[in-house]
Amino acid sequence: MSLGDFSRSKAFTLGVELELQIVNRHDYDLAPGAADLLRLVARHPMAADVKPEITSSMIELSTGVCERHPEVIAQLLEVRDVLVACAEQQNLRLCGGGTHAFQDWSKRRIYDTPRFHHVSQLYGYLSKQFTVFGQHVHIGCPSPDQALWLLHAMSRYVPQVIALSASSPYVQGSDTGFQSARLNSVFAFPMSGRAPYTLTWQGFQAYFEKMTRTGVVESMKDFYWDIRPKPEFGTIEVRVMDTPLGVEQAAAIAAYLQCVARWLLLERPFEPQEDDYLAYTYNRFQACRFGLDGVVVDPRTAEHQSLRAQIAQTLRDVELHAIELHAERGLALIRAQLASGHGSDANWLRAVHAREQYLPELVRQQCLRFEGHDG
Amino acid sequence: MSFPESLWALAGSPWDLRPDTLLGVALLLIAAALLGELVWRTLRWPRMIGYVSVGTLLALLGTGADPGAPALRLVVDIALALLLFETGARLNLRWLAANPWLLATGLAESLLAALAVYFTARSLGLDAQTAAVLGLIAMSVSPAVVLRVVGECGAAGQVTERLIALTALNTLLAVLGIQALSAGWLLSDPETWQAALPAVALALLGSLLLGAALGAVVAWIGRRLDLRDDNAVLLLLGFVLLSLVLAKTLQLSTLLVPLLAGLWLRNRSDRPWVWPRHFGSAGGMLVLVLFVAVGSASSPLDHPQALGIAAALLAARWAAKGLAVFALARPSGLSWRQAASLSACLLPMSATAWVLAVDFAATHPAAAPALMPVLLTMLALVELVGPLLLLYALRYAGELDPPAQSARAPSPPGATP
Repeated sequence: MSLGDFSRSKAFTLGVELELQIVNRHDYDLAPGAADLLRLVARHPMAADVKPEITSSMIELSTGVCERHPEVIAQLLEVRDVLVACAEQQNLRLCGGGTHAFQDWSKRRIYDTPRFHHVSQLYGYLSKQFTVFGQHVHIGCPSPDQALWLLHAMSRYVPQVIALSASSPYVQGSDTGFQSARLNSVFAFPMSGRAPYTLTWQGFQAYFEKMTRTGVVESMKDFYWDIRPKPEFGTIEVRVMDTPLGVEQAAAIAAYLQCVARWLLLERPFEPQEDDYLAYTYNRFQACRFGLDGVVVDPRTAEHQSLRAQIAQTLRDVELHAIELHAERGLALIRAQLASGHGSDANWLRAVHAREQYLPELVRQQCLRFEGHDG
Repeated sequence: MSFPESLWALAGSPWDLRPDTLLGVALLLIAAALLGELVWRTLRWPRMIGYVSVGTLLALLGTGADPGAPALRLVVDIALALLLFETGARLNLRWLAANPWLLATGLAESLLAALAVYFTARSLGLDAQTAAVLGLIAMSVSPAVVLRVVGECGAAGQVTERLIALTALNTLLAVLGIQALSAGWLLSDPETWQAALPAVALALLGSLLLGAALGAVVAWIGRRLDLRDDNAVLLLLGFVLLSLVLAKTLQLSTLLVPLLAGLWLRNRSDRPWVWPRHFGSAGGMLVLVLFVAVGSASSPLDHPQALGIAAALLAARWAAKGLAVFALARPSGLSWRQAASLSACLLPMSATAWVLAVDFAATHPAAAPALMPVLLTMLALVELVGPLLLLYALRYAGELDPPAQSARAPSPPGATP
């Protein structure tokens, strides 16, 4: 399969995808209910779309192409309410969070499509261990070269959005100590990590052709990069976030990325360099492990700074763009998150578990959060 | 006396459970456990098929369970109480409110099955009283078989969830229906109705109260101890036993109390409760004995004259239940494939029906001669077919654990279509 042309899309348009957990209402383990849910969801016309994912206890919702944060939040709330109502009819429940706290990966079933069976056969246990739930944000770019420039310029904001979305402290029944343990599952894939450093579409096409010739990949879908170009949509797709516990947080993170993208492309505050990636995996680890309290390093200045302080600085940098994009409500949520004591969803999960000492109950309260009842 | 005969005499009826006949019980346990393992390893059938088969062999040899034996009855009651408690704890009333078509399915399949069995029985020449009792008992799908097969095979999915919910609902309706019928007969007798009225009212109220009390105790324990822990499970087992003793002493329904306790626990709060299946290995052994005992209650050959009627009643019952499920499949959110699977799953009848019939016959001895042969033959006919059908129906719906992944080395994506 060839890479194809890069579609043109309107600059700074937004699309949000959320992978959700489907759990039963009995012991709150993951439940293979995607098909049952989709059958009912199909009866409701909506702006957003709902699709199956690789395991049958996961479902993915995606907004249409949105211009602004208010539109994103409206679409997410609409699809959330439909999904919650349909799930209740099938005795299922939905929740956010990057991992399920106590599921056993060996019990997961692969959703019945040829591609999913193929992926499952190729990656073996990795594909089931990959039962993790992420948020993806698409940002529209009018030209492919701009897309690649933006992709590499945004790499320094990857740790920030990891910390803002972190919601996966528990894996297979234990506290991992990480704020986002989900990304550790993603890093196990051979094609994960960062995109190759090239700032022109021509260069990228050459890379892609060399890779397909080796037979290791056949389409963009085989790359599990943190940020990857999506030529069909004419977007870049940021894929490092955990699915937050509530859709409001998901919309806020999308708005944050949109403001950063607009600021970077219009003001060009710096030019990306290959050396930006020197500390990339270290910084990403800090974000996964410690969340907002992680300390990241700027490879150019060798300056160390907490992610909390860095995000506060970014919020000041993009202030005018936030007004232009009507993103203030979203960014206000992030400001509140920085100011609050517990901060991330991961810490909220730990606080609930400290109180309840019972992981099924934790998942139930996660469901309440997703449904919009603040637990 | 030759050696095998003397051994046989020493074993005696395995259901006496006296020390001098313990050999029989021991051999029985060994045989059931071995056969259970054999069918699991060779055919991937649930182990309970092995247990029931041992019971069937006993029935064919003429050493069936005597429902009157107090020790055996106690074991059956405890095992059934555990299973009914688990079943009740899976019926979420909020689900029935959120999906009224599911509630309609449950009511329709119970009612249609009762009517179908009643009219089929009448048309085959049974008297109205017997037909009514058979109709009410036939509403219930065996919670024992359903929970055991689902648990052993790790079934999960929409059909499994609905099967358990429908089973809990139709068992509740059957138990209440039989109690109402039994009470109605006592009350319609001009000699006894004054004496019977308070007793009947108290029995129902008492079952409700005791069930709620047991449910509340389990919830109380569950908030303080981890119910997955061995010691907490022993505590639970103790309380279930205690409530059973109380129910027996107060002449309450030993079926209704645990079922309501489970229902109370599930619906009083939204909190998830998790405990080991059948309350761990102690409960597991009781359940084994339950399946062997009920399997041995009768063989299809015991009452050859009832075979035709029993088969006709089963067919009418199954068709009625299937009809209700299919008619409401789409509005309630099932695919046709799932509806077919769920319909097939509603065949099993087992321990609950047996206990309902035995207790009814004890209260109304005049009804026994017409009732028991037909009912026992019905149970004997489905005791092996029911669980197997359940297994294959759940597999057809794709709700069993997938087979182990092949060890074949995968090829890279470029090399595959």
